[in-house]
Amino acid sequence: MQPDPWAEWQAFSATGAAPGGPSSFAPFADLTERFNAAARAYFDGAANAPAPAAAAAAAGSFGVALRELFSNIQLPWNLSGGANGSSAPAMFAMNSPALGASREFQLRAQRIADAWRRIEEAQRRLQRIGADAVRAAAAAFIARLAASPAPAPSAEVLHKLYGTWIDCAEDAYSRAAHSEPFSSALAEYVNASSEWRKELQASVEHSAKLLDLPTRSEINTLTQRLIALEHELRARPEVTRPKAATATGKRQRAQRKKAKT
Amino acid sequence: MTPASSFSALAALAAATPGAAGCSEREVVWQSGKIKLFRYRPIARPAASAPLLIVYALVNRPYMMDLQEDRSLIRGLLNEGLDVYLIDWGYPDGADRFTTLADYLDDHLAGCVEQILKAHHLDDLNMLGVCQGGVLSLCFSALHPQRIKNLITMVTPVDFHSPADLLSKWARKIDVAAWVGDGNVSGDVLNQLFLSLMPFRLTQQKYVDLLAANPDRAAAENFMRVEQWIFDSPDQAGAAFREFVTWFYQENRLAQNRLEISGRNVDLRALRVPILNLIGKRDHLVPPAASLALRELVGSSDYTALEFDLGHIGMYISARAQHEVPASIAKWLAAR
Repeated sequence: MQPDPWAEWQAFSATGAAPGGPSSFAPFADLTERFNAAARAYFDGAANAPAPAAAAAAAGSFGVALRELFSNIQLPWNLSGGANGSSAPAMFAMNSPALGASREFQLRAQRIADAWRRIEEAQRRLQRIGADAVRAAAAAFIARLAASPAPAPSAEVLHKLYGTWIDCAEDAYSRAAHSEPFSSALAEYVNASSEWRKELQASVEHSAKLLDLPTRSEINTLTQRLIALEHELRARPEVTRPKAATATGKRQRAQRKKAKT
Repeated sequence: MTPASSFSALAALAAATPGAAGCSEREVVWQSGKIKLFRYRPIARPAASAPLLIVYALVNRPYMMDLQEDRSLIRGLLNEGLDVYLIDWGYPDGADRFTTLADYLDDHLAGCVEQILKAHHLDDLNMLGVCQGGVLSLCFSALHPQRIKNLITMVTPVDFHSPADLLSKWARKIDVAAWVGDGNVSGDVLNQLFLSLMPFRLTQQKYVDLLAANPDRAAAENFMRVEQWIFDSPDQAGAAFREFVTWFYQENRLAQNRLEISGRNVDLRALRVPILNLIGKRDHLVPPAASLALRELVGSSDYTALEFDLGHIGMYISARAQHEVPASIAKWLAAR
């Protein structure tokens, strides 16, 4: 079914397209307002002090404000939904020797805890790199602004300033993202997440077996058997490949059925 | 940037009646499982060339090729009189987790090609591969050169280790086998990775710009169509994804002539058909150098590269692309 963009547009704008409202646009409206506030302070500062020192000082304050504003922005790599507290109970298992009948269970719990610790550490590394990039972006933004007198404020100028800030932010981020520390931290984040998911899945499957419930591993085994069977059948010369349905074929069948009735 | 005026504009827009998406007329001419082969209804006098099969990427939905009437590569091609087919790979689910690249090439893509050749009583056709679909097209063409009359690649990576290729740098240290496990790969997670390539522009600026632009109904519809497409990302069949990332992004086998599909070497030097390589100079997903490498790798003496001052998505839907890209393709095909 074709999507209806206009209906979607109506849906989210009708849910409250106002600052602080429930609309999906609310974060961007908030961002816009806060950017505008920082920009107004910049224009006021530049206008109320003798040039050229005024422009430099006002630009500096503007850059610092942006650095603070964007330092808390959730960038796409923050996938785990936060790294606070949730690992604490699991860490208990990390520090205990695995003994007795539940040894395998304890070992798995330790592996899950260790994977979660690695996820948190990788996420902290990524956040540090991101914060450094925002700091570098703020410095570049200040340098660009200080190079010329502050323009007269207008909606167009504000939009241009925002564009300049984004350019600085993307330049700084791109340098960081191409670096070895970033790719290492991202890989560690993904690899630890894979390990965590694998151990968690094994744990859930263990419980499922105790309750005699089907598991994904069993379904996978059956799927692979079916695929192998299909390949085997295709390899036999006497078995022709099943014909895929064609629109013409469907129409012909429908016409034949209609003719019979 | 005046949010208040933008919000009032949005409220006014919300009161308007919905508009229909402008897509070209087409019909399913072949189907196999989730794979559908579409043929588009002609809208101009037929050009004297073989049918053109568009092979789109697995990671996004192919309707980006025909988004709306005034932003449609397919419509542009139809206007040039070309007979256009398109493969829709569908949405892989849990039953497709063991589907491999060989399955995509030897069963799905080959099935579509055979269907078209049979319907037209031809031995070969023209193929247009887009992005990852271009990589599949190159592999298919190298394995079945007799089936291809002319090959067009569009924003297609060939050398996956070019210096500006950020995705490749990120992918190289990831344990892809562990990531995939025995399952599929979530399209949502892949989207997060794509957004991370330019997070400030893609997760903030474009929305702020939209508010600041005080969009009219047409602009809002345009924006929402693209937004819909960006986040309409199919999950990826696990085995094929693992092979693609390992063989192409991590090991760069295609460019190094070390790629094997089902035991057959994918040797690009075997490609001797005319090749048109379309490149976006401002492509952040597929850096130009990744595409331009094709020239040195293929055996064809009839090779043309056209660079457009456009980004990855702009190559399909920008106003400039509508004027330049379909006409360039049609002109190139007409000369062969």
